Amino acid sequence: MTSPTPPLKLFRDEAQVETIKCLSCGGPIALHSFGARQRVVCPHCGSTLAPEDSGALTLLEAASRKHQPSVLPLHARGQLDGIEWEIIGICWRRCVVDGVAYPWQEFLLFNPWHGVRWLIYSNSDGHWQLGQALDGAPEILKQRHHGVRFDKQRYKHFQGAIAVVTYVEGEFTWEVHVDDKAEINDFVAPPLGLSIEQSSGPDGVELNFTVAHHIDAAEVWRAFQQPGKPPRTRGIGPLRPNHWHRGRRSMWLSCLVFVAAWWLLSDRLAATRHPTVAFQRDNISFDEPFAQEIKIGTPGETTAIEFTLAASPLDNAWAYADVLLVNLANDEAVGFGIEASYYHGIDGGESWHEGTSRTTHTVGGVAGGQYLLQIQPQRGGTGSTPTEYEVSVRQDVYLTRYSVLALTVILCFPLLAWLLGWLFERRRWNNSDYSS
Amino acid sequence: MQPSRTDAVSCPECGAPAPFRGTAVSLVCEYCGSTVVRTGVDLKLIGKVSALLDNGSPIVLGAKASVDKVPFEVVGRLQLRHGRGTWNEWFINFADGGVGWLSDAQGSYAITRPREKSIVAGKVPAYSGCALGQPIVVQGVPYVPVERRVASYQGAEGCLPFAAVPGDRYYSVDLRGHDGEFMTLDYGERPDHREPTLYMGRAVDLLAIGLHPLRKFAGWARGGPPA
Repeated sequence: MTSPTPPLKLFRDEAQVETIKCLSCGGPIALHSFGARQRVVCPHCGSTLAPEDSGALTLLEAASRKHQPSVLPLHARGQLDGIEWEIIGICWRRCVVDGVAYPWQEFLLFNPWHGVRWLIYSNSDGHWQLGQALDGAPEILKQRHHGVRFDKQRYKHFQGAIAVVTYVEGEFTWEVHVDDKAEINDFVAPPLGLSIEQSSGPDGVELNFTVAHHIDAAEVWRAFQQPGKPPRTRGIGPLRPNHWHRGRRSMWLSCLVFVAAWWLLSDRLAATRHPTVAFQRDNISFDEPFAQEIKIGTPGETTAIEFTLAASPLDNAWAYADVLLVNLANDEAVGFGIEASYYHGIDGGESWHEGTSRTTHTVGGVAGGQYLLQIQPQRGGTGSTPTEYEVSVRQDVYLTRYSVLALTVILCFPLLAWLLGWLFERRRWNNSDYSS
Repeated sequence: MQPSRTDAVSCPECGAPAPFRGTAVSLVCEYCGSTVVRTGVDLKLIGKVSALLDNGSPIVLGAKASVDKVPFEVVGRLQLRHGRGTWNEWFINFADGGVGWLSDAQGSYAITRPREKSIVAGKVPAYSGCALGQPIVVQGVPYVPVERRVASYQGAEGCLPFAAVPGDRYYSVDLRGHDGEFMTLDYGERPDHREPTLYMGRAVDLLAIGLHPLRKFAGWARGGPPA
């Protein structure tokens, strides 16, 4: 038996990078994708090279465009999502909406073990996304707002546009070409996004699904060790997370805890009060003003009082009283108006009623002592107007308004966050196909 | 059956060991590139297939991993060419005695196992009737055709379950589900029938399934990035 020749072992050896000369302009082209390429576009002149069946690169189309600087350079390396990536291809695309061009730059990121990703920079708003091919096909949802679902995540349609390739350089895993057109539909679930790209290929329609997430400009700049600061972001990108929604759950939860605490506390406070009747009088005539000296609370202490007005009979009629409480010790007065009314009728076959024959008015911070209670009554109406009224003054009542104020303060935090979050989303969606 | 069982036979062309694995029918000699076919107890030489292209795959023969807790080993590679370049179908032997394919196209990976043809026979459209983007329901699960291709064999290495003859054209459709399911309908050499060979499985991430060893690449930290 003859001794065999050494094994080929081609694919056990370390894969090597190489540099070739552009077959059009002669400039050096560094090949860093280890053969995972369908197109190579010379960074210097824009000529397109393609691999033959043998794998050797051949000139497909000569060009003589100028090199244009992108926001990140070809072959820059950076770590994103814990993985090291190298930019092996740059593709500029743009879409035109209502006569306005929206350009963006796509950086094809490569890692020999992790495949490829797309780092996308939007020139118009300065926001960044990191995308990769979807491991599946999204489900098209039949609902009012067009949407898709993949792997338990729902996405809402944001916009659709025709994207055109305007500039390319480097290596690509697909047959990229300037002027290539594709219909792109973007769906969002910030910070995630899903895009469906349709283009016509040799085999009919070609479909590409991409899932992406928002990435901060500062993080991209740090990852690729770029000098200075990244281009400023403007407005709200389609995938920028809504920070007002970030602590939404815990905010509502803590709000719930506060409300429960408030409920217990106000209940306890109310229980410490023992309201008593300071004054009561029935059957007062409407014919003349009423005046009487009454005693409220304990001198030297303040109290809260509840004044009640009731009139009868009250049938499609009203009773009103101007009430004045004059402190006999210092002539300071508390005045208020109080009205009781009751109306009812039948309108379009439906019976209705409104108002009540008994109304209360609460006054807090009343100094204890002797008061002169003065009442100027009025009455009117289309039905039976009241003939007499009654009043009562209860003292040491529990002032619910303060506890309601506390509740308002508790609730205003999540409500404010909800409002700001809503405004944020409205600004985001103003840039979509669904702007108001 | 042990998937790693090897028969002590030699390449009829150069005499080097021809390590047939499991139920493999053909083997590309690692030393001389000849394709050796096992017919019963005999070995037949069918000449050399065209060369494999280095398309940058990180997978190597002999790599091992587990999917759904079943260990497997990569024992062969079929490289296919279509209008838009090449991709690899790695032939894998499972520890449970089954076989499957690890499909490797531009950094996108899926593992499938052959399934009963009757699951889809007559229930799926012919090759040309599989419209991209229009779901086809198989066993209650919607699958979306995402790629149709007419491919030919570019090259092979290692063990394969059949003898790959370069140049023949094969029609196939790749379909994907809404939760990572993956399916290939292999129509063979004729596109005009509704009884494709069926492969079902799911998309995988090479590092997540722990495939090892992986190929080394100049300029990139050895052994791959930290998991």
